[in-house]
Amino acid sequence: MAGATRWGGTEDLEAQRKKEKEEKKRLKQLKQQQAEAEAAAARERKEEEESEAASRPAKKRKLSTSPSADANGSSMTEKRKLLRFQAGGWGPCRNISNFETLNQIEEGSYGWVSRAKESATGDVVALKKMKMEYAQDGFPVTALREIQLLQASKHQHIINLREVVMGDRLDDVYLVMDFIEHDLKSLCDTMSEPFLASEVKTLILQLTSALSFLHSHWILHRDLKTSNILLNNRGILKIADFGMARLTSDPPPTNLTQLVVTLWYRAPELLLGATTYDSAIDMWSLGCIFGELLSKEPLLQGKNEVDQLTKTFSLCGLPSDTSWPAFRRLPNARALKLPRDPGNAAHGIIRTKFPFLTTSGCSLLSSLLSLNPDARPSAEDVLNHAYFKEGPKPKPTALFPTFPSKAGGEKRRRASPHAPVRGEVAKGLGDKEIDFSGIFAKRDEEERGAGFTLRMG
Amino acid sequence: MQPSRLATPVATIEQLETSGSRLDGVPADLEDSMRFAGARLTQAAGILLRLPQEVVAQAIIVFTRFFAGPEGGSFAEYDAKQISASSLYMIAKISAAPKSPRSIINVYAYLDSFPHTFLDIEEVEKKKDAEEYFVSEGMFQEHKARLFAVEPVILKVLGFQLQVSLPYTLCITYMQALDVFSQPRASELARRAVARLNDMLLSPQLLCLTHQPPCLATAAIYLAAKEVGVQLPDVEWWEVFDTDREELGFLVVGMLSVTSFAIEEKEKWGKRSVPMTVEELDLELSSRRASTGED
Repeated sequence: MAGATRWGGTEDLEAQRKKEKEEKKRLKQLKQQQAEAEAAAARERKEEEESEAASRPAKKRKLSTSPSADANGSSMTEKRKLLRFQAGGWGPCRNISNFETLNQIEEGSYGWVSRAKESATGDVVALKKMKMEYAQDGFPVTALREIQLLQASKHQHIINLREVVMGDRLDDVYLVMDFIEHDLKSLCDTMSEPFLASEVKTLILQLTSALSFLHSHWILHRDLKTSNILLNNRGILKIADFGMARLTSDPPPTNLTQLVVTLWYRAPELLLGATTYDSAIDMWSLGCIFGELLSKEPLLQGKNEVDQLTKTFSLCGLPSDTSWPAFRRLPNARALKLPRDPGNAAHGIIRTKFPFLTTSGCSLLSSLLSLNPDARPSAEDVLNHAYFKEGPKPKPTALFPTFPSKAGGEKRRRASPHAPVRGEVAKGLGDKEIDFSGIFAKRDEEERGAGFTLRMG
Repeated sequence: MQPSRLATPVATIEQLETSGSRLDGVPADLEDSMRFAGARLTQAAGILLRLPQEVVAQAIIVFTRFFAGPEGGSFAEYDAKQISASSLYMIAKISAAPKSPRSIINVYAYLDSFPHTFLDIEEVEKKKDAEEYFVSEGMFQEHKARLFAVEPVILKVLGFQLQVSLPYTLCITYMQALDVFSQPRASELARRAVARLNDMLLSPQLLCLTHQPPCLATAAIYLAAKEVGVQLPDVEWWEVFDTDREELGFLVVGMLSVTSFAIEEKEKWGKRSVPMTVEELDLELSSRRASTGED
């Protein structure tokens, strides 16, 4: 027995010695490899230094020109200024364990959002867990697009994506974004009075500047609504949730999905089944948001696609061949039965619905809510609109009131319908004919004049 | 601050010093060979899939980024072939020209059926028996599972940084700015310049990870003009495109060396295959050990 133990003992010892030897060998090898690697990289590094030096022209100029300047007193060798472009680098994703969850905020169309603290820095951030529905095409293309577009959209009024982190499993993916206290939806729900005209102007201007940035970078947001628009306590607005966003082109791509934009903010061409559309669908949503901020109520709360279209037409008027020449060619337009002569119904009731709005404000709202997408102004046009130049002036963000943050505290309730789910079959308007001839029956009896108000902010 | 759309993310000095593969004991020359073969595999698959060169170039850069740096992937841990296929699939997916997993898997199976890496033109054109590259349903499911499984691995290593700015369109804009298209040999010049940019993707010096698109485009035009014999302005025109003389010189030498590197590789490997999987790499390493042991 003793022999066996001793035998076992020497084996252990030997194994350990062997292990140590191997460990040493491995370290030596590693060292050698690193030396080799360094030698190999030396050339690249040298080059790197060169380009780095070039990126600091001031230093380089001093180095290279001072001797010659001393020698012949001329500034002939003065370096021309070359632009240096920087776009960062890459590194592996950090782990979610760097963050402590504080509270849940809400469930969005493409993930769950919670408030969290980064343990190392104490920064409070918003964490959005991506919904990973591995279907037929591997890593969800929607998640990839959302991340790519957020990375490409660095703008004061667009939510800042700090980084993407992963959990222990490879399909746990979280977006780390700046935490913003409010969203316009819950603000509108809790405020006792709507925003003042001056506040609405500031909000719409900020929102439009972000839209102008997105559209000029060929990005369609495709899900603008008040719950996706965040506001911090310093009055700065940020667009969030790029889960539906995509790149576009001119002319716009064909066969786009019509299942975009939450129903209440969905443009009529989408309701009518258009598969080629452009930035005008975001401008329609902007119009809806404008109306909602003015009245504190979502403008068009349809129960389904048909009801949404009915409400849209009763607010904005019926489409006609003159106001919207292309609409009859849209897939679902065949199901519409429109009166031959719409008469008064051709003009909407926007003016009546917003009696407090000034004439230019009303013209802006009506143009954003043009049924014909080509008639809607671009984001750039909106920024230059007369409405923002007349009194009351847009309120400086520093003077914005602060509100208690729902997102910072309790779980938020959600009243607006969800964004459509990708891959769902577009419902269309059904086979049944939809009769729109009756919806304006009693228009003449309605009160028409603009009321007046003392509260102009 | 919004980064310029012209700029592309570049590797840090630490990422150029060493790599996951070398830390795992893959010799530097073998690493270069595998990276070169992997990039060529991606390019070949892209051509067979009729993908736009922009998509192919982006996929090659993603492949190259994946295997760069000490925190990057290692050839001893991931099949180069698989990273090539998944990069191409993923980049095509977010582009305007997505390809189905079936197409990707078929094309990679077809390319896999060639007996060795460096083929002569007759070997490529020889009509093959479809049996050699047939992918059965069972194999397809297996390949597809692997194709999907590697996607998040790539994303994790790159920290979701898939953004790549390419020099191709800039190159054309620059040539227009230099007013070369009024010259008789302009289309040849343009073809050479684009070919040089494609070479750059295969560079063992990782030019596509270290230089910005404006400099790459400028160097490609400079080199192509010398080759084709087109007269360019007799001033330091490259500075207009934000490239200084030193960087231009470095890049021209770098692009030129790709050709000799490719010839050397072809001679070195002859009728053998460059290892494209972890298993093949292990075989190659043990055969190398065996031959050095014999000496």
